[in-house]
Amino acid sequence: MAKEIFMPKLSSTMEVGTLLQWFKEEGDSVEMGEPLFEIMTDKINIEVESYEEGILLKKYFNVDDEVEVNACIGYIGEAGEKVPDSPPAPAAETESEEKGQGNSSVETAGKTVSANADSNENNDGKIRATPAARRVSRENDISLSAISGSGPNGRVHQHDVEQAIAEGRLAVTPLAEKIAADHGVDLSQITGTGARGKIEKQDVLSYLESVNVSDQEPVASPAKRIKLKGLRKAVADKMVESVQTIPHVTLTSDVDMTNVIALRKSLLPVVEKDTGYRLSFTEVIIKAVASALCKHPELNASLIGDEIVMNKEVNIGLAVAVENGLIVPSIKDVNQKGLAELTQISKELGRKARENKLKPDEMRGSTFTISNLGMYAIDAFTPIINGPETAILGVGRITEKAVAVDGELAVRPMMVLSLSFDHRAIDGAPAAAFLTNLKTNLENPYSLLV
Amino acid sequence: MREITYLEAVREAMSQEMRENEDVFILGEDIGVYGGAFGVTRGMIEEFGPERVRNTPISESGIAGAAIGSALTGMRPILELQFSDFITIAMDQMVNQAAKIRYMYGGKGKVPMVLRTPSGSGTGAAAQHSQSLEAWVAHIPGLKVVQPSTAHDVKGLLKAAIDDDNPVIFYEHKLLYKTKGDVPKEQYSIPLGKADVKREGTDVTIVATAIMVHRALEAAEELKKEGISAEVVDPRTLVPLDTETIIKSVSKTSRLVVVHEAVKRGGYGAEIASMIAESEAFDYLDAPIKRLGGAPSPIPYNPELEKLHVPQVPDIIQAVKETLNKA
Amino acid sequence: MKDLKVPERIAEENLVELYKQMWTIRYFEEKVDQFFAKGKIHGTTHLAVGQEASAAGVCALLDKEDKITSTHRGHGHCIAKGATPDKMMAELFGRTTGYCKGKGGSMHIADVEMGNLGANGIVGGGIPLAVGSALTAQMKKLNYVTVCFFGDGATNEGSFHEAVNLAAVWNLPVIFVCENNQYGMSGSVKEMVKIEDIATRAKSYGIPGVVADGNDIIEMMNVTNEAVERAKNGEGPTLIEAKTYRWKGHSKSDAKKYRTRDEENEWREKDPIKRFKESLISESIITEEQAESIRKEALKGIEDAVAFAEEGPMPTKDDLLTDVFA
Repeated sequence: MAKEIFMPKLSSTMEVGTLLQWFKEEGDSVEMGEPLFEIMTDKINIEVESYEEGILLKKYFNVDDEVEVNACIGYIGEAGEKVPDSPPAPAAETESEEKGQGNSSVETAGKTVSANADSNENNDGKIRATPAARRVSRENDISLSAISGSGPNGRVHQHDVEQAIAEGRLAVTPLAEKIAADHGVDLSQITGTGARGKIEKQDVLSYLESVNVSDQEPVASPAKRIKLKGLRKAVADKMVESVQTIPHVTLTSDVDMTNVIALRKSLLPVVEKDTGYRLSFTEVIIKAVASALCKHPELNASLIGDEIVMNKEVNIGLAVAVENGLIVPSIKDVNQKGLAELTQISKELGRKARENKLKPDEMRGSTFTISNLGMYAIDAFTPIINGPETAILGVGRITEKAVAVDGELAVRPMMVLSLSFDHRAIDGAPAAAFLTNLKTNLENPYSLLV
Repeated sequence: MREITYLEAVREAMSQEMRENEDVFILGEDIGVYGGAFGVTRGMIEEFGPERVRNTPISESGIAGAAIGSALTGMRPILELQFSDFITIAMDQMVNQAAKIRYMYGGKGKVPMVLRTPSGSGTGAAAQHSQSLEAWVAHIPGLKVVQPSTAHDVKGLLKAAIDDDNPVIFYEHKLLYKTKGDVPKEQYSIPLGKADVKREGTDVTIVATAIMVHRALEAAEELKKEGISAEVVDPRTLVPLDTETIIKSVSKTSRLVVVHEAVKRGGYGAEIASMIAESEAFDYLDAPIKRLGGAPSPIPYNPELEKLHVPQVPDIIQAVKETLNKA
Repeated sequence: MKDLKVPERIAEENLVELYKQMWTIRYFEEKVDQFFAKGKIHGTTHLAVGQEASAAGVCALLDKEDKITSTHRGHGHCIAKGATPDKMMAELFGRTTGYCKGKGGSMHIADVEMGNLGANGIVGGGIPLAVGSALTAQMKKLNYVTVCFFGDGATNEGSFHEAVNLAAVWNLPVIFVCENNQYGMSGSVKEMVKIEDIATRAKSYGIPGVVADGNDIIEMMNVTNEAVERAKNGEGPTLIEAKTYRWKGHSKSDAKKYRTRDEENEWREKDPIKRFKESLISESIITEEQAESIRKEALKGIEDAVAFAEEGPMPTKDDLLTDVFA
């Protein structure tokens, strides 16, 4: 019988593997221990050796496909053996196990929350007393609150309680004491109506009514609860890490886009003819950023551990909004590419990102990130750095504004650039110099051709 | 009754057992004609010969492993380490091998061995020859830990340790070697896991180990003059621990002071205090539990500093008074 | 057996059994690898594919009362010392029917009754234990030998030097078998040891050190035979270095970046099972067809072991605290 080839689980955290290459074609013979395919996990690239020997009968997945752990990705067997046309479903056993675990963790979380709530309630009006004093007071229906302790800081000891009992003071029922404790009421304020002046439940309730202590409003129930998972969780973790570890400073600068608009207009047909894509402002900004980065390499650095790594390549990451999250494909060696090539690459990366088809390599290696919200009515914002990078550029909309030009009022298409930088790696002056350089590049875009 | 020293009681326990049981032998550094670092085995090589009183190279890891391996295959070795500080060098063998073999093998095989070693300060031997590291081993499931405080106890407990089918770490306090006590001539066994109430009292329980048992008794005598009645409990074995006796005592007195020589932080006293806090004795506690232990520094050489490092009689008296609000 | 020089006590049928045993070891490891990759077995595992000749060759010279101590890469030693693959597989599946009731796992399989004093998760941890076992033999005048398996990495541990010295000065009946598979995890022995042969270390302790081709089961049997005779004649310990190679990574999730495919292929050419098969066929002890059916029998045996393992019950909460103390 043909043997399944499956996606191996190579680490405890691995859930899917990406096929990087097959070393064998269908019909090839395979020996046990021979490398069969290569995969990328969340941690490493690894060549997977065959557990079986025979003929590679079927490959269900191609290079770049992401496959779940344990899923069948092909078959090895004897020549001519029949195998299914599509991969068989993974065994149901594991799934139900996972679900079971998921449920139990939710339950546990719920318990923790309620336990906390309880302990918070008890925090009010604590009395300093030894366990023995508490036991004796409990056994004799005596409230500790009215007993003055003889120990350090007024701590009530067993002896103090015993003395109080002897003097016949402040008897209280356990239920009354609990209600009083729950509402933070000092029992010495209440007059007991029970035998020998014992405080009972009704005494406490009457007291509460008189002082009008109200319960807390219950929290409104939410419309829906959405669990952080998958890409949303990844984005959430990354953002928290960035904000918590990186001291962010954001600088803004107004840029006059008159000349960029003219440049784009003249190059639009050229680029479209060349690539089939329409040149957008984004690519011009990318080009201008790359030029500025070459002059200010400290903004093209990564902060890794206690080292500032000055990157050789200028790879620009483009933040792309996708369903349920944000991903940042990276354009490599931007400084060596022209606007036509940049247009083609950025458009294709954007499309792949939205279709979730980016290769791992296309999501790695950026040295500086651009986040463009110019399609919305946004002028400036404080972008969060895509660590270990040391800076990120936020791009706002282009909008006509009244500005002073050569002493006269003029209406110009203006755009705000927001540069956040990591103050551990870069100080204000070099960051400002970079942003100034970038502004100059965009206001004189023809200089980029030089 | 006959009076002999703690040291003689250790030797007598071993010799009597070796006369009875061919499988029992001793190995360790300089335990032959030299008689061991503290003279405990003096004269034994003459009686039992170099096969059964085996002088070893200075190889704590090697000889600990050899003891374990021989125990696993049918012998009942007694391993002497010259100073309990050196257990650090034998730690892998004791912790990762001896303690775990039976469990890892699913209940097959046993390791009936005793690691005897002198511990404690007070001899001016300074930081690397004076420690009390019993909490380290007490933390490891699979090891039993014994700390005898008197000549009578050490003989009976050593017999029980040799008879036990598990690895037992047996701490002998250096300052106790010379102390004398009534010790029966014949062989007897004191079960592991049985505490001893060394002095009865009603106002406070002092749980003390090894040399601290003697200091606690001295303190109790002083406190009596001021009308304070202290009960002194000696657990004798840390693993297994006789929780019942300690809980009973604390439930009676409502106050607990724990005293040991080992550094207080992370010391076994913390285990005893927590055990009481979790037990039914909690509801009888009428004062915060007090712990006394070594200072958080290595053991100093200077005799005055060395004394300051570990609890002394006045410290115990003070702690007891504090729990009684009489300080 | 015209040209095949093997110890006297090894008969032709023993050789055939050994051939099957080597396949049993290999298929056991391959099956375990597969189950780990599938996530059916958890934890970690260290496989000895490629090292079958030293386990099988050394243990071929041992009797039931002889002892071994083994390592984290110990499945082969276990099988060679007479353990049954079904109880081993059940252990790896964590079942109560396993050798250690599911409490030990891959790194701690022991079968004290069969003289296997246990595998060890601590590098070099088992070496002093073997010396202790040999001490018992000497003191109780029991005529057994103890074989102590360990890897090249362990010879840089203090425990190795302490234990070998102790065995040497006490002249104990123990055989130290260093399976030099060239790597301690990712550390090449060439980078971690300055001498060419680990066997040289025997000199420091005044005992014989022998280098052997660890992928040649015949040579492994012959050197072991000599060491066993020395031990049983009261001539003390021997250090044998078996030069071999592990085909797989150190444990799971090892991309083997520290070595090359070329190097791996060179060693695959020295496949100990293939070499043994060729000898057996050229000596007309078995035919090609018989060799093939032996291989299939071994595979069948492992498949049966898996079935046994899967049927075994899981331990329960009640088992957690048992076996801590005797």
